[in-house]
Amino acid sequence: MDFEHLANALTLTNLALALFGVVAGTIIGSIPGLSATMAVAVLVPITFSMEPASALILLGAIYTGAIYGGAYSAILLNTPGTPSAIATTFDGYPMAKRGDGDLAVAIACYASVFGGLVGALALLLLAPPLSSVALAFGPVEYLWLSVFGLSLIASLSTGNVLKGLAGGAFGLLLSCVGVAEISADIRLTFGSSTMIGGIEVVGALIGLYCIPVLIDMVATPERHLKVEEGGRAVRFREGAAIAWKSRFNLLRSSIIGTVIGILPGAGGSVAGLVAYSEAKRTARPGQKFGEGEPDGVMATEAANNATVGGGFIPTLVLGIPGTPPDAVILGALLVQGVRTGPTLFEGGGSIVYTFVFGLFIATILMLPTGLLIGRYAYKTIVTIPKTILVPAVGFMTIIGTFAIRNSISDVMIMIVLGTVGWVLSRFGFAASPIVLGLILGPIAEQGFVQAWIIGDATGNLAGMFFGRPISLAIIAFTILSLVYPVIQGRRARRLIKTEAGAND
Amino acid sequence: MFYLKTAKSLVIASAVSIVAATSALAFPDKSVEYIIPFGPGGESDISARFQQPYFKDKFGQDLVVSYKPGGGGAVGWAQLNSMASDGHTIMGINLPHIVIQPAEKDVGYTTEDIHTFYMFHYTPDAIVVTADSPYKTLDDLIADAKANPGAVTMAGSGKATANHLAQIRFDKLAGIKTTYVPFKGTGASTTATLGNQVKAQWGYTTVGAAQGDAVRMLAVAMEERHPLFPDVPTFKELGYEMVGGAYRGMAVPKDTPAETVQRLSDMFGEINADEAFRKQMLDGGFALLDVGIDGMDAFMAARKAEYIEAATDAGLLN
Amino acid sequence: MTDTSSKSAPKDIGTLLIASLFIGLGLVTLQDVSTYSDTDSVVFPTTVAYALIGCSAMVILASWLRPNPDNGFGGGDWWRRILLVASMIAGCLVMPLAGFLPATAIAFAGGLIAARHEGWDLKSAFVFALSGIFIMAAFYALFRYPLGVPLP
Repeated sequence: MDFEHLANALTLTNLALALFGVVAGTIIGSIPGLSATMAVAVLVPITFSMEPASALILLGAIYTGAIYGGAYSAILLNTPGTPSAIATTFDGYPMAKRGDGDLAVAIACYASVFGGLVGALALLLLAPPLSSVALAFGPVEYLWLSVFGLSLIASLSTGNVLKGLAGGAFGLLLSCVGVAEISADIRLTFGSSTMIGGIEVVGALIGLYCIPVLIDMVATPERHLKVEEGGRAVRFREGAAIAWKSRFNLLRSSIIGTVIGILPGAGGSVAGLVAYSEAKRTARPGQKFGEGEPDGVMATEAANNATVGGGFIPTLVLGIPGTPPDAVILGALLVQGVRTGPTLFEGGGSIVYTFVFGLFIATILMLPTGLLIGRYAYKTIVTIPKTILVPAVGFMTIIGTFAIRNSISDVMIMIVLGTVGWVLSRFGFAASPIVLGLILGPIAEQGFVQAWIIGDATGNLAGMFFGRPISLAIIAFTILSLVYPVIQGRRARRLIKTEAGAND
Repeated sequence: MFYLKTAKSLVIASAVSIVAATSALAFPDKSVEYIIPFGPGGESDISARFQQPYFKDKFGQDLVVSYKPGGGGAVGWAQLNSMASDGHTIMGINLPHIVIQPAEKDVGYTTEDIHTFYMFHYTPDAIVVTADSPYKTLDDLIADAKANPGAVTMAGSGKATANHLAQIRFDKLAGIKTTYVPFKGTGASTTATLGNQVKAQWGYTTVGAAQGDAVRMLAVAMEERHPLFPDVPTFKELGYEMVGGAYRGMAVPKDTPAETVQRLSDMFGEINADEAFRKQMLDGGFALLDVGIDGMDAFMAARKAEYIEAATDAGLLN
Repeated sequence: MTDTSSKSAPKDIGTLLIASLFIGLGLVTLQDVSTYSDTDSVVFPTTVAYALIGCSAMVILASWLRPNPDNGFGGGDWWRRILLVASMIAGCLVMPLAGFLPATAIAFAGGLIAARHEGWDLKSAFVFALSGIFIMAAFYALFRYPLGVPLP
């Protein structure tokens, strides 16, 4: 790893590609329905005529930009632009609602850049050893990881855990619709051939998060987001101060993101959720997660951008894509004639190292471009009159959902599910548990079925489910995150009791 | 009045025929959309990406790859015949999928609905183990499976798929009982194999090509050894009558004019004949196949009979 | 969709109704599961269906004992909400026949009318229609050409 590779990455072409990639990615990612996977897939043909390293830099820059861009719509419209940004909505949208949208966009940018750098650093320095993490995770580990993710329902649905659990079960059922991934049965379609493809996760996300916002927006004449009166100083510095204060949160979330990014079966959405859950568990007294807590936005955004570097680790070392966009990039590399594997790092490492430095540069470029585009996006959403905002966003949900797999029925499902979600949310059944169920359902089911088959074949079912060290660690974390809020709540109540006398 | 009408329709008819004639000559006169009914990154996507630059080179128009995943490909195939039938829309098709899916359940299309015009490659079935696996040869695996029936776990992609049918068929041929563990896609099943979650994998030669020294293939289901793996025996050499894998090709909506279909078949035949393309495919572990529109009916009939028999044996069809 | 009188009713009828529908869904799932040929695809939905039925039953119990007065649809104009959703659905239904832009124009117009609280005059109608056409055209072009989405 010498400076020659850095110099290679710093050519004018590569810099221009990185800049273009980050800007294009950020914009694409901010449009609900246009995911990082699609952004990368669209650009693959263009890269055929490029040098492999330049092609990788362009694709990596788009990918990292798109993951960040997802934060805009999550914060300003309560709609995750990509699944990775689901947990960004939990605190980002409440922040925007109370008039702190610009601040949320700024801290999301800082966190994304930080997370991206940590992920890229891991890719640069630790790729071959870390790739073994991908292989250490078997079916059972994925099962318990998804259970851990589901345990977030309990802490997310403050107030009514039962309704949260019912919503989660509803989401898990929705995830079963269509042809089962690993068995060949067609489930819960009730004879309708339009349902065979199942419920598309991104479409469902758009519906469940965005349609309720639109329905609420039209019902009353109030403004969409609260705006502070008078011109306000740029809040980049305030954001930086907040980010500095939460540096441990940023670091922890970035590490979580990197590790989960390495797992081929998980991805950015799970990384964001786990990091959010951990940030919430270790919250300082007085932090109110779910009501506009900056740490919630930062945890998610740091983690999901760290999955970019993390995901490249198994992709480049093992030839196993860590995340769906990596799968596309891997395909593009094959066409380029680049063989992935440990030798890529040892022998002809120049492509890899040039690419990793390119990824660094792209991530750093995200700081100015991200803040700039973010500011513009915020201003647009805040100043645009509601009359045009509602139909424009509605139009975007339709075209975005259609684009995912070119299907009108997906759009229909999106609208119906969104309307149902709005009714449900009005009676205390929040959208997030349903979404968690929908996303984690397939991971849980596949892990369970595979673990059961393997355990049954080797005659050791109990050992399969409860006898593997990583599984046990995840189970311990799950129990901890379930029990901890109860203890915390009791402690807080005791605190309030003792303070109550003084305040009255 | 009558006269005018006839003249009008005559003019229209001749205009249409002129358009038809010129379009047949100039085909393709715009970019051709190539729909992959799966998500990006799989074998279907990668092989389509291999074709993409050659198409542009030879015929001057873009081959635009797009994805329509869902239902293991069923969503795309069910909609194929309602798409524009001017030859500028084609869709990737896979065997055994388009035979097994409609045979099992109502998935919105039948095998006969799919108008396939070219089959361009297949990924031969192969048994893959990790480099440090105790199975050095196919016989090691068979011996272990005979000693411990059902305890040999083998990963594969999905159920009622090429991998699954291969496992069923081989178990029958070798007189053994192994346990098939379905994963979501070849990538996931390869990961499980590398991580020693299972003892072996029913994969393809492409897995061997991608993983290099990390894995060892015990046998491949080809007529002759794959040029990339001269040391890996075929099942046939070892006495098991197994040749096959997952076959891939392209189909058009059924109303596409015959001459356009013929032209498409010729065009993809030309790409398949390109030496550079063949080399790229072989280096990726694929095996080439050249079945144009003329030989398609016979090819499909033979495959269909084979798959239906294997699936019926396995109790997958009721 | 559900009962709007829940605001005044002592019981939280909306919650009770939703939970009952969930239980119904669980039962339908258990029925559907019995038609699967592969046991691997049965286990998970069955477990989830029981969980859904169990949780929903407890929701009903909890809500019956202690209804939450905050639940309900709240204020706001119903015709606007319905217009928004109906126009979007109508747009989807006519899309295969009319093509993408005309179909989404219906949804767009519905959203415009639903979201306009200030009333209409000729000038504002013209301005909004124009900017609407511009936004739609821009996005259509972006998706159709650089992104290569085959819009109908």
